[in-house]
Formats: sequence, structure tokens, C-alpha cells
Amino acid sequence: MITTSLPRLFSRGTLAAIIGLYTFYTLAPFVWLATMSVRTTGEISLDHYAWPKPFHWGQFRSAWIDSDFATYFWNSTIVVTSAVVVVTLIGAAAAHCLARFRFAGNRLIYGILFSSIIFPPQITLISLYQILVDYNLYDNLFGLTLVYISLQLPLTVYLLEGFFARIPQDLFDAAKIDGYGDIEIFWRIVLPVGMPAIATTLILNFIQLWNEFLFAVVLITDPSKRTLPIGIRGFMGDHFQDIGLIATGVMISVIPVIVVYMFFSEKLIRGMTAGAIK
Amino acid sequence: MAVVSLEKISKRYTGASGHLAVDNVDLNIADGEFMVLLGPSGCGKSTTLRMIAGLESITSGVLSIDGRVMNNVAAKDRDIAMVFQSYALYPHMSVEENLGFGLRRRKIDNAEIKRRVKATAELLGLADLLQRKPHALSGGQRQRVALGRAMVREPTVFLFDEPLSNLDAALRVNTRNELIKQHHRLRSTMIYVTHDQVEAMTMGTRICVMNGGRVAQIGAPLDVYWNPADTFVARFLGSPPMNLFNTQIASAAGGHLAENAFLRAPLMRWQSGTLQGMAGKAAIFGVRAEDLHLESDAVPGQKHGSIKGRAFAVEPLGAETLLLVETEPGVECTARLSRHLKVRPGDEVELVFPTEAAFLFDSGSGRAVGSDRS
Repeated sequence: MITTSLPRLFSRGTLAAIIGLYTFYTLAPFVWLATMSVRTTGEISLDHYAWPKPFHWGQFRSAWIDSDFATYFWNSTIVVTSAVVVVTLIGAAAAHCLARFRFAGNRLIYGILFSSIIFPPQITLISLYQILVDYNLYDNLFGLTLVYISLQLPLTVYLLEGFFARIPQDLFDAAKIDGYGDIEIFWRIVLPVGMPAIATTLILNFIQLWNEFLFAVVLITDPSKRTLPIGIRGFMGDHFQDIGLIATGVMISVIPVIVVYMFFSEKLIRGMTAGAIK
Repeated sequence: MAVVSLEKISKRYTGASGHLAVDNVDLNIADGEFMVLLGPSGCGKSTTLRMIAGLESITSGVLSIDGRVMNNVAAKDRDIAMVFQSYALYPHMSVEENLGFGLRRRKIDNAEIKRRVKATAELLGLADLLQRKPHALSGGQRQRVALGRAMVREPTVFLFDEPLSNLDAALRVNTRNELIKQHHRLRSTMIYVTHDQVEAMTMGTRICVMNGGRVAQIGAPLDVYWNPADTFVARFLGSPPMNLFNTQIASAAGGHLAENAFLRAPLMRWQSGTLQGMAGKAAIFGVRAEDLHLESDAVPGQKHGSIKGRAFAVEPLGAETLLLVETEPGVECTARLSRHLKVRPGDEVELVFPTEAAFLFDSGSGRAVGSDRS
């Protein structure tokens, strides 16, 4: 009698308790990190979980100015923003072509793109390293941007293709009869109509790349070119870890993610729950 | 306003199947005419319309509008507008933007766009909805926006691809009347695709019945209804469809008869000479449901044909009653009778029909045997 017992099991109260528990489970580490970001390493060593007293707001200043945090932050911003913009534009255009136009090899290209999602990124690391060295792009932010684009493009195309394929053909036909060409249809119809899906991939790509560590640590050596995850790792010494400063750094690095999420969250939810476009 | 001409137009899809969707269609649509392409799903009517629109390439044949060959002209340069079954409104644009989208592309002055959009919106009762997005409109309102988007462009040819299919029955009747009104007002050439015979009969100046990618018959609605070219058209037009029976043609003292075990019909619509060669041969006999009456209601002294069978279902529709009769195992006949019908399922009945209501078709090709008398 599963059908009758399930509604009872998931009554409002139970659901609220589960959601509350889950929220606590995900939010607690963040709150803990937030409290540590305004405490000194000494205070943290004495009591890991104590409430900040006093609030050392100066830690943000010293992380930003006294260490090279500002440099790491701007490096990350430039690399990730340009990679996300390029990935979104190229990914949307490619997804539109794959979803809309019949041409020889359409499914083959799609298959190759899809297969590249399956492989773990570590597989490509050595070959990418060699390619960047060959083209003088090793230890270069532009090189890292290109790598990020290639990393995120397949998943972006895959996600957008699925959404774009559900846009009714009649919309394109109507725009054609209204006098618009393929490129204009892409700009004026596909991008606005596909915005929920585009926002979804944009947030996913931004978070993924903002936190990316593996490729950045291998492909960048110059301290002035470090991105945030590598920069934060720099606070960890062999014998001493400045936990307070690390927490402050992580808090700073989280801010853009929260801003991007808040800006696109409505569209993200629409993208994730989107059914057929009517 | 424009004359649209299709000469031996064919469409074969590329790919493994190589499906021939439209086969040698010849069709001339006069200036200001409301032509309805009618047929069942997959008969090629929508493909034909899409070829006229320029949304589908033409495999062979010549399409011309006002004498200008259009085969390789892009959709945007054909000066046509199309209303789609799904309405195809741009979901991210307001009604006003939807209406003006085509005009903006044509570099028309902003003031003129505003004027035309406003005029069209007022004409179609959309003036209060201009700032709404399509998702905030009802089905009927969306349909009117789709129509308005076509009208605002002032094209030479209007194309409609089953535009009423998504509307409920009451709204469909209203919108149908609205379209007829707009056609009278605009006097534009309109080509309308539907599988609904009521739409075809009520709206079309002429209808073109299609079957299997070919044109089965072209003509004025009532002409096609009363003079179907073959058994397909005879069955497709009319609800319930025409009753068809396998019969033998026999010679009798007063002329020829179509007959079988349960049917006997004097063939008075044809001269003896026409039927001479058919005597003793098989033919398909047809009679419409509305021409059948109970034997007890027959006009005394009038010559009529008759069908005998056993009633197996009575379907009261309110204004009238459909009587379904089994004449022999597997052979059915439907009669549209008075709402006061007393017959019950299981009753033996004899249905009669006036001799001028008879149709005759060749049993091999299904083509109609043309009558010599009315």
C-alpha cells in the first residue's frame, strides 16, 4: 500500500523537517566559514566553532591588499568571464545549428561532443599542457581561457541543444516569412527564447570555472597570474596554515558566485523546470 | 492581390525513404480567391502550402505568383504572410512587438509601423492587449494576434495552415466567421489548409481535395459535394460519409438498375447509352445519409431505390438521429433521419432514397460515372 502511505509519510511537517535539515546541512559549513573569516587564526585555534568576538573586519582588507588577493581575484574574473561569454555564444550557436539544421554529420558531431563529456578532464591534461607549451600559451591567462572554453563547451552544447530542439519550428518559419535571415533569427529568436537554458549553463559554467583548480595549478606558474583557487592555496604552508586568512579569501571568492546566481537564479529555475515552449 | 499558379509541382524528400509527399499538383488560384486545400493527414496539403510559402524546396514543377516564377525566391521576398496552427507568436515579445516584427525588418518608418499596428489591433479587438505577452492571452486572442501579424504586413497572398485546429468548438465557429469577414474586407488571395470539411465547405470559394500527394478534385464546395470525382472525395466530404456498396449493374424494362442482395436502385441519372457497357458488371453505388428515409416516410408514387437491413445502433444528435443499419455481415449503412425516429436496435428496416440521390463509381478505379441528367 505504498500509494496510501506515501502522502502520510511526506506530510507537510515531515517535508518541512527534511528541508530544514538539508538547509542546515548545506548552510552550516558556510556559516562556519563566514564566522572564521572575521576571526584570527589564533582565535580559531583556541575554539574552532566560537562566535566571532570581536569581528575582525580588517582581515578582508589585509587579504585584499596585504596579500595578492586582488590580483588573484581580477585574474579569475578576466579568465572566467571571458571563457563563460565565449562558451555561451559559441555553445548557443553550435547548439542551434545542431538542433535546427539537417546536414551530413550532424549526429556524428553531436556524438563526438557528447563523448567528450564522459571522459574525466584529467585525461586531456597532459596533451593540453603540451599544446600550450608548443604555442607559447603555457603560463598565460589567454591560454588558460582557451582551455576553459574547450573544457566547458561540450556540456554547454549538449544542454542547450536539448532545449533548443524543443523550440517549435513554426517560430523559425514565422520569422523567415517576416523577413529575417538565419543569423538574425539566432539573435532575435533563439537567444531570447532560450534564455532560461542559457542562464542555466551560464551559472553552471561560471561556478565550475570559478572554482577550477586542477588546470590552473598545472598550466599557471607565475604567482602574478594565479587565479583565486590557486591563490588561496598559497596561504597553506607546509607547517603553518593561516586558516583565518584562507576563510576570508574563500568568502571574497564566493561573492561573485552569489551575485551571478542571484542575478540569473529566476531564469535558472525556469530553465531547469522548463517544459514545452508554447 | 495575386494569382498563384502551381504547375506540376512535386516534392520528394531526400533521405533513405525518398518519400514523395506531393505528386504533380496543378492548381491555379485566382486573384482574391479563398482556396481551401482539404484532405486527411499526410495527404500533402501542408507541404504544398509550405512550398508556396518558400519554407520547403520544390523538387519539380513551377510555382508562380502573378506570373513571376517563385521556385528559388526566398520566403521573405514572396510578399506572403502565413498563419500557423500553433500561432507561432514570439513568446518573448509583446502583442505590439509581435505585430510589428515583420514591418521593422522591412525598414518601414516607425510612425507608420505604429499606425498600422494600431489599426490592425483595433480591427481585431486587440487594442487593449498590445502590451501583453502571448502567454497571458487566451487561445482565441493568440489566434487573432497571429491573424493580425499576417494582416499588418498587407501581403499579396495569405496562407493559413490549419489555424483553427487548436481552438474549442465555439471559438472555432466565431473565428471562422471572422476570417470570412476579413476575406470579404481585404479581397486578398487566401490559401487555407484544413482537414475539417466544415471549414472547407463554409469558407472556400473553391476547394482542392488532396489524397496521397495528388489532387483528387478541385471545385466549388457544393459542386464537389454533389459531384465527387471518386469514392475518396465522396467519402471524405460529408458527415457521416457517403454510403458506398458493391453492386452489379443490371438491365431492366425501365432502364438500368444497381443491385445486390440488399439494395435495389433504379439508375435514372444516367442515360441508357452510358450504362450499356456496364450491364452485368460490378460498380460501386453511393447514396448520402441525408437522402435516406424510412420506407414508411416515402413519397407515394415516386420512384425510389431501397436498402434493407437490421438497425444496430440509434444515435440521437438532438436535431436529428443517425440510424446505423447492418445490411449484411460487415456492411453498414448510415441514415440521417428525423429526431422523432421510433426504430430500435434489432428492428428490420427498409431505407428508401430518391433516384436522383444515386451516385455511381467504377469498381476498379473508384472514379465517378458522370451522370447525364441532374
